[in-house]
Amino acid sequence: MNPTDDVILIVEDDPDDRHLLARACRKAKVEIPLHFAVDGDEALAFLNGISRAPDPQRPVVILLDLKLPGRSGFEVLEWIKGHPIFRRVPVIILTSSRENVDLERAYDLGANSYLVKPARPEELLRMVEQIDAYWLGLNQTLRAAM
Amino acid sequence: MTLQTQDIDLTACEREPIHIPGSIQPHGLLLAVRLADRTLAYASTNIAEVFGLDPAGTLGRPFAEILPDLSREFEAPLADPPPAGTTRYLRTVEIATAQGQRTYEAAISRSGECAVLELEETPPEAVSSLDSLYPTLRRFVEQLQGASSIDVLCGLAAQDIRRMTGFDRVLIYRFDELWNGTVIAEDRNEVLPSYLDLRFPASDIPAQARELYRRNRLRIISDANYTPVPIQSRSPEPLDLSDSVLRSVSPVHLEYMRNMGTLASMSISILRDGQLWGLISCHNKAPKRVSLQVRNACDFLTQIFSLQLEARENTTLAEDRVRLGAVQTRLLAHMAAEDHFIAGLVNHPDDLMLLAGAEGAAVLTQDHCWCLGQTPAEEDVRTLFAWLSRHHQEDVFATDCLSQVYPAAKAYTDRASGLLSISISKAHSSYVLWFRPEVVQTVKWGGNPQKPVQEEAGTSRLHPRRSFEIWKETVREQSLAWDRSEIEAVRELRNAIVGIVLRRAEELASISEELRRSNKELEAFSYSVSHDLRAPFRHIVGYSELLKKQEWADLSEKGKRYIDTIIDSAYTAGTLVDNLLRFSQMGRTALKPRRVDIHHLIDEIRQQLTVHAASRRIDWVIGDLPEVTADPVLIRLVFENLLDNAVKYTRPREKARIEIGSTRNDGETVFFVRDNGVGFDMKYIDKLFGVFQRLHRMEDFEGTGIGLANVRRIVERHGGRAWAEGALDRGATFSIALPDHIMTEGAA
Repeated sequence: MNPTDDVILIVEDDPDDRHLLARACRKAKVEIPLHFAVDGDEALAFLNGISRAPDPQRPVVILLDLKLPGRSGFEVLEWIKGHPIFRRVPVIILTSSRENVDLERAYDLGANSYLVKPARPEELLRMVEQIDAYWLGLNQTLRAAM
Repeated sequence: MTLQTQDIDLTACEREPIHIPGSIQPHGLLLAVRLADRTLAYASTNIAEVFGLDPAGTLGRPFAEILPDLSREFEAPLADPPPAGTTRYLRTVEIATAQGQRTYEAAISRSGECAVLELEETPPEAVSSLDSLYPTLRRFVEQLQGASSIDVLCGLAAQDIRRMTGFDRVLIYRFDELWNGTVIAEDRNEVLPSYLDLRFPASDIPAQARELYRRNRLRIISDANYTPVPIQSRSPEPLDLSDSVLRSVSPVHLEYMRNMGTLASMSISILRDGQLWGLISCHNKAPKRVSLQVRNACDFLTQIFSLQLEARENTTLAEDRVRLGAVQTRLLAHMAAEDHFIAGLVNHPDDLMLLAGAEGAAVLTQDHCWCLGQTPAEEDVRTLFAWLSRHHQEDVFATDCLSQVYPAAKAYTDRASGLLSISISKAHSSYVLWFRPEVVQTVKWGGNPQKPVQEEAGTSRLHPRRSFEIWKETVREQSLAWDRSEIEAVRELRNAIVGIVLRRAEELASISEELRRSNKELEAFSYSVSHDLRAPFRHIVGYSELLKKQEWADLSEKGKRYIDTIIDSAYTAGTLVDNLLRFSQMGRTALKPRRVDIHHLIDEIRQQLTVHAASRRIDWVIGDLPEVTADPVLIRLVFENLLDNAVKYTRPREKARIEIGSTRNDGETVFFVRDNGVGFDMKYIDKLFGVFQRLHRMEDFEGTGIGLANVRRIVERHGGRAWAEGALDRGATFSIALPDHIMTEGAA
């Protein structure tokens, strides 16, 4: 069902969160491979790279942390939503913050979903299962022709 | 009070050009020499009789050729006359006339391009030198020292002027602010009747006459029946006689004098700060001459008198200032001691009224009206306030006859005939008012002031009134006048209040700036807590749970307990952070009030709670719970907290009883939640609603200690109150009062 070049891009600077997310995806049996970017610059480099690659990987969904060193999650979001092709890729904000200002700004910039990182591993697992079921299953995404 | 006679006065007398009558009185002669070429430019026609000169033939010729003796005698003053506005007495001279040697008193002044030489025939009984006047002047000055009051001072002046001049009657005449004059002192013989205390209407001395009086301090009319002597000239321009000593006066004035029964008069102006304060007015039944020297002495005496008067008035003013200054200092202290200056005023009505010598006062803002002492009814004061706000925004407004400018005041003249007010803020209209009651006064007018003149049938010629019989008038709706020191005192009070108001505004501005800054810092702080502080707790919980899962079998009992403790603690810490953030966010987001069905809300919360307390026996007693206007999300949080607490703190009870009800108060609904739980010690009541304040041990009752702080904060943001009553082990009652109308405030 999933073409082999599909990928989930996860932009997360915290190694623990990356580890817990990877574990949750494994437990949730998410089939699409994960690609981690540790900051905003790396995320942009990855996206820029695939738009030029002959046999590109395609992000089907992007999980984006807001608080990143250097280029912030908002800047990455703004860049994605301003990009002619990637703006159609669903971006799920995954952050610690429940602050209204963050929610407002994220939605204003075009975020497709906003999730707050839960404390317990089981809760995280349930969240990943739901992402998998909804965003990678139920939800129709546009397969970008690169 | 004004007299309705101004129009006559204005249309006739005020237009009369009294400074260019074109003639002089007959007891002297006038010669005007052009400064540029020393030719005779103007001359009174009586030079024909006195010098045997033909005026027509002499005009335009050099003065030195016409009258060589006089020209030589007064060469210097004729070449350089004093500046306009000054008349200088030169000396007494013997002059050869057609009738032989005669004695004249010479005076010089300037009029336009001419030097004006006036020669006044010395009256037969005239004193010859200043020496004979000196004792009178000296005695006057000596007596001045002992004069205790302005009245005594005026009496002395009248006596001494009469002694020097020999007039039948000498009056001290004082102007009021409307230029009516009142006789305040008098010295007389039996020839003329007393005018003491009589008042004369402003129209008796019209404006341009007052201006001339101000400029030329002394005038004399020797005989009201005189025949004026014309002034001749080749120039079409009339000669300005403003500074002349012989100037002919208005025929209306002469008629006025004749009607008054006085054929000779002299008046000397009393000036204060360059303004006409009053007159020394001298009258004689028969024609009377006063020598120029005596007149000069009278002028001198009057100047001394004016200075003394000024000094006395200033002393009185200074004494009043000191007295009122003390009252003002007390008021300032009262104001400084209060949060709002108004409290300082209204809590000390005696001082407030004393400041202006008033019997009533009122302090008004847009929302409030405080009436103190004898004032009109509050609604009348409010109406007056509205009128003032529209028509009298000046800093200080004073009237001793309010009904004249504000007819509605006729209804309460017994309390407010006089009004003195200060306007404190124009933007947020606020005033302090002082009231004075009516003082009915009887004014004795010198003749009917309503009819100061009579028009001659068929002509436009005016005649002054014929009768100066006392005409009594009762003045009503008028209070005692506000004097200068009182007006100044309230003006100073106003300045002080404005200063206080401004300072308060600045303080508020700086506090709100401080608040804004600390609010911003708090926002930045909670933002960073939100992102950074939650992550470590989450990771501790996450990894500990993973550890527990993977290594559970290999862990000792102790190890298992440790790991559970780590998880619990980190989880609690994370929850604490969450609650704290929510608490701070609650203060920062705007209320979105709408109608909330509290009964329904309580039902929902109750069901939610009973799921977790299924094993408990809880007796719910639900009373009448009306709808209220509130932010539905926040008000739910309030009741969740209160009910959750009630359930929690009744846990030790075998049978819990939780009662929820409401009562109506004035403009608010009070809800209460009563339980039969463990209660609390009232001595900790102050801590109950504090952030992170707990009254119970964590082992007994879990919680983060923020619930009731949230309750109070939410209720207060709705403009309501939250409170509690309880006793240790005897249950607790928590109450909240929500106002019917909540103020919609922005996010703080």
